[in-house]
Amino acid sequence: MLEPSLLMAGLDPSALPQQLLNGLMFGAIYALVALGYTMVYGVLRLINFAHGEVFMIGAYTALFVSWQSGYFQGAQGLQRANNPGILILMLLASMIVCAVLGVLIERFAYRPMRKQPRIASLITAIGVSMLLQYGGALVLPVSPPRSILEEVNPYDGNHSISIKPKDAALQTAFTDAQARQKTADAALAAQIKLEGVSSEFDLSEEGKKVNSAALDARDATRGAKNNLDNSGMSLNVPYGQGIMFLTTLGLMGLLTYLVMFTKTGREMRAVAHDFDSAALMGMDVNRIVTITFVIGSSLAGAGAMMCATFLGTQLTSFVGVPWGVKAFVAAVLGGIGNIPGAVLGGLLIGVAETVVVWAGGSQYKDAIAFVILIFVLLVKPGGLLGSAKVEKV
Amino acid sequence: MKNKIGVFLTLALAGSLLIGCNSSSSSTNTTPSDTDKPTTTTTAGGKRPAPTAAGPKIEGPTVKIGLVASLNGELKPWGDDSKNGAELAIEELNKSGGIDGKQYELITEDSNSKPEQGKTAADRLIGKGVVGIVGEVASGITAQIADSAFAAGVPVVAVGATKTTLTDIGSNVFRVCYTDDFQGPVMARFAYEELRLKRIAVMTDNKQPYSQGLSESFKAKFKALGGEIIAEEFYNSGDQQFNAQLTNVKGKNPDALFLSGYFTEVGLIARQARDVGLSVKLLGGDGWDSEELVSGGGEGIVGGYFCNHYNNQEDRPEVKSFLEKWKAKFAGKLPGTTMGALGYDSVMLMADAIKRAETKDAKGIIAALDNTENFPSVSGAITLKGKGGNPPKRALVVEVTKTGQVFRKAYEYFE
Amino acid sequence: MRFWAVRLGSIGLAVAGAFAIGMLAQNSGNTVSRLIALAGLYVTLAVSLNLINGITGQFSIGHAAFYQVGSYTAAFLASQLVARGIITTTGMPISWVLVAVIAAAVSAGLAGLFIGLPSLRLRGDYLAIVTLGFGEILRIIIQNTNELGGSYGINSPKAFVVPYVWLLAFLCIAVCRNLLQTAHGLTFLSVREDEVASGAMGVNVTRIKVAAFVIGSAFAGAAGALLTHNEGFINVNSFTMDVSFIILTMVVLGGTGSITGSVVAALALFILPEILRDAPAMPLNAILGSLVGIALLVGVIRLAMDNKGLGREVMGARLWLGLGVAVGGAIVVSIGTNFVPALANRTIPSAELRMVIFSAVLVIMMLLRPQGIFGHREFGLGKLFPKEVKA
Repeated sequence: MLEPSLLMAGLDPSALPQQLLNGLMFGAIYALVALGYTMVYGVLRLINFAHGEVFMIGAYTALFVSWQSGYFQGAQGLQRANNPGILILMLLASMIVCAVLGVLIERFAYRPMRKQPRIASLITAIGVSMLLQYGGALVLPVSPPRSILEEVNPYDGNHSISIKPKDAALQTAFTDAQARQKTADAALAAQIKLEGVSSEFDLSEEGKKVNSAALDARDATRGAKNNLDNSGMSLNVPYGQGIMFLTTLGLMGLLTYLVMFTKTGREMRAVAHDFDSAALMGMDVNRIVTITFVIGSSLAGAGAMMCATFLGTQLTSFVGVPWGVKAFVAAVLGGIGNIPGAVLGGLLIGVAETVVVWAGGSQYKDAIAFVILIFVLLVKPGGLLGSAKVEKV
Repeated sequence: MKNKIGVFLTLALAGSLLIGCNSSSSSTNTTPSDTDKPTTTTTAGGKRPAPTAAGPKIEGPTVKIGLVASLNGELKPWGDDSKNGAELAIEELNKSGGIDGKQYELITEDSNSKPEQGKTAADRLIGKGVVGIVGEVASGITAQIADSAFAAGVPVVAVGATKTTLTDIGSNVFRVCYTDDFQGPVMARFAYEELRLKRIAVMTDNKQPYSQGLSESFKAKFKALGGEIIAEEFYNSGDQQFNAQLTNVKGKNPDALFLSGYFTEVGLIARQARDVGLSVKLLGGDGWDSEELVSGGGEGIVGGYFCNHYNNQEDRPEVKSFLEKWKAKFAGKLPGTTMGALGYDSVMLMADAIKRAETKDAKGIIAALDNTENFPSVSGAITLKGKGGNPPKRALVVEVTKTGQVFRKAYEYFE
Repeated sequence: MRFWAVRLGSIGLAVAGAFAIGMLAQNSGNTVSRLIALAGLYVTLAVSLNLINGITGQFSIGHAAFYQVGSYTAAFLASQLVARGIITTTGMPISWVLVAVIAAAVSAGLAGLFIGLPSLRLRGDYLAIVTLGFGEILRIIIQNTNELGGSYGINSPKAFVVPYVWLLAFLCIAVCRNLLQTAHGLTFLSVREDEVASGAMGVNVTRIKVAAFVIGSAFAGAAGALLTHNEGFINVNSFTMDVSFIILTMVVLGGTGSITGSVVAALALFILPEILRDAPAMPLNAILGSLVGIALLVGVIRLAMDNKGLGREVMGARLWLGLGVAVGGAIVVSIGTNFVPALANRTIPSAELRMVIFSAVLVIMMLLRPQGIFGHREFGLGKLFPKEVKA
């Protein structure tokens, strides 16, 4: 699909480490959402199509909490928040609301269908998903798409990990250029004030010369900055996305503990292994299913809150759809029903997407997940960590 | 076999064929039949064929204007705004007495963001006897509406469809917005001449024809002026993370980044550009226009320039009174996107043509639309006379500041 | 003799029927005419997916992709013909439409083969995601191909295809129906019922699956070609995932495996959103209230359906209680809505409401009748219609 010349020409090996890091950070979110899919699938053998809509509700919950905390659009002169209290509140609220929603969906839409053919449950899931999308459009603010304000996040900027230090001489050159630009800009501002015009585009012929000098100075600064940046090499982690990554890892650790080392976790694994036998053994399978939905949905809620806050996702009632699809792919790639598989699948897709962009194929970014999936399934029909067995629909 | 005979008598069509046998029915549609029934009788040749159908007359107790808008699906934000703008216009027209003692009636149909449903919507409007159709925001859907309207001889005023070739469908198709062939060059000239930027990277929303068209025209003009397009990256509307593309762009050290998509993604890109340490000027088209741009893009978008139809802070009386009316109707809010103003303008233009029409039928309205000269609209004066449906409009370059958009430079129409 | 009479008679009736529908379409307005055509296409799509999904039990949720392959094949063919001056953009001769239909069927069939072959080893849900993925990959490729119109779409000459749409629908129904009448068809059903067992009985499971996939895809492709020339313009938005979901829903709602079910459900689900365009505007609180009320009521009925063992009195009491809860919930929600400033006193026009009602109806139908309208059975008047083939 990619032209060979394109592949060869634009490649910048020095950017690869940064791109891999980008991929891992984003893949972690895919993984987080994919976990919900995979867990529900594990116990019920049901593709929970409404999972993307749970994500959507989580994002909206975060939005409403941020509004309640004073961070709404139109509030003039907002300062950056100075503590993460609101963020934590938003995270918890999203997780709780999503957990409740997940349980409600399970109770009213999926549980009555449990004895029915799986495809009937699937259509119910699609129906619930559509109902939440279109119904959400009636009651949620969607026009124009809303986003959580940047100011709610106290951590601005990015953390730079230096791999190769920048050239000191170029640093001096850049500082000098910056100083010259400052002078030129000040002169321009003075000229604008002198002539009493609103911007540099309305200046007189005389003023245009001042503007020209300022533009030259800016050009020089840009050049110096580029030289400086190119001389060194560093990895940049935006604080927001770094927090997102760490939180995701933390939640995954928590999940691992829950599933592997607690009694409930053991029950969950038993139910996932064989639903009917687990019931025969006297387990309260309904309780386990409910817990699964609580965990899976709250993870989606956490992912939604973090995306909406740190990436700035614009919210409409359809915002969950691409997430649902990608996470579904991640879950299947890793072997649906398999918890480490979902994480692996998510990370893999995240990395693959950034690598494709790095290689100059950004127009095919959305296709790569599916291409990988098809190739993996050709070799391993059960997904990377799953097992294949013949099953009836 | 016995009881099968009965089926013919009781079950009509579908059931009948079910009684055959395996091999019997596979050859039904392989023989070409010559029962070709042509439906559209377009006159080939001229650039804008004239519709042959007589079209509706202005009759009945109200003057019906149809609106097709995406009230469901992914284009909902723009659809909602165009609907609000159109309703505002109708309300105003009726308050000032309607036309010839009749009231205007707006009939809205949903296109569900899909071309074929847009066509159904247009067909239904035509069936309900509208004398003109307003809509849509997306070029693909508008093409379908225009096609139905062409067959029925009904005039169409497109709200925000900027695809250049759209108006070639027929002489009944007009628009109130400029085309992709204009705003791209405006931004290219602004970037090259005013900001003296030489090396620009472009990011295109590959899912939106609007964005693809705008990027193309921008790139062509910018190169013609002597600038250099050093990278082009793509994304799809609905994407949430642009780190990978932005890291690529950053590696190329551009002077500026041209974002031809809608504000929904532009805001995210601006935020994330700042996050990855890319601090260049951002430039874009009218898809940026939204009250959400600054809250979505945060500090990253501040200082960017984009091309717009009009500006909320303009002094022109049309703008001022439009915004006042909008605020009064919609609880003090400003229009979310430009489609509010363009939807309003489209209906106003249509109503103006209905008033000016010499014969009170679709043909008269089409002729009146085609004769429009200097119609004072919110988005600037519209002249359609001899322009083949595409009004040469002026474009404004505005700067994004923390408090809103500030007008910087106006470009009159140029070829 | 009688055998042949039946056979020829049925073909004749189908052709006559299709052209009768065509006449009907031509004599009604544009709107109705187009709806008749689109309804026929959906019947074909639903019945052909039913072959893959309901009859053979292969879990495909990306049927729109094959529809798309066919549609774009026809559009590309037409654009080539126009470029070579063989046809004009003003109208497509029916003979060329039929060529386009065959070309589309072949290319979609090949696509089905391409997807089907490697996916054979995959179990249900994995196949599902592959079919879904195929659609997405296709969308992205088309978006990046200028010859196919990119993201804007591609124009094609139009033709009056309504009779052919319905002829195709009848053909599709006939092929599926007749397949089930033969021993060959039994193998399809056996694959659905138990792959392992039917393999052990000597059925070539792989071949059956691919055959079903290819035939189903080819029909969807043919439908796509007719869509292209019916509409005169197509773009990728006409074949998104939700279109696939709707087709799948038609199959399941009709009763997986039931051809008549697919036909009825296809017509019903296609017509419902169109009828809802004429629904009156409603206040938001009434909508939310009734949604909640209906949800509760459906829940209670489901509960009653699942607990048939309980005594009649207990059930009765529960039902009354449930009804009370439902009505109460509806009232509470409708009143409660007015206390939320953003939601109070809002009236929702039918255009925005129709998809909400549509999805609500879908969920309710599935909950109350999970086996679909007809279950695995076929519908006939009395006993006249032949019974379903027992697997």
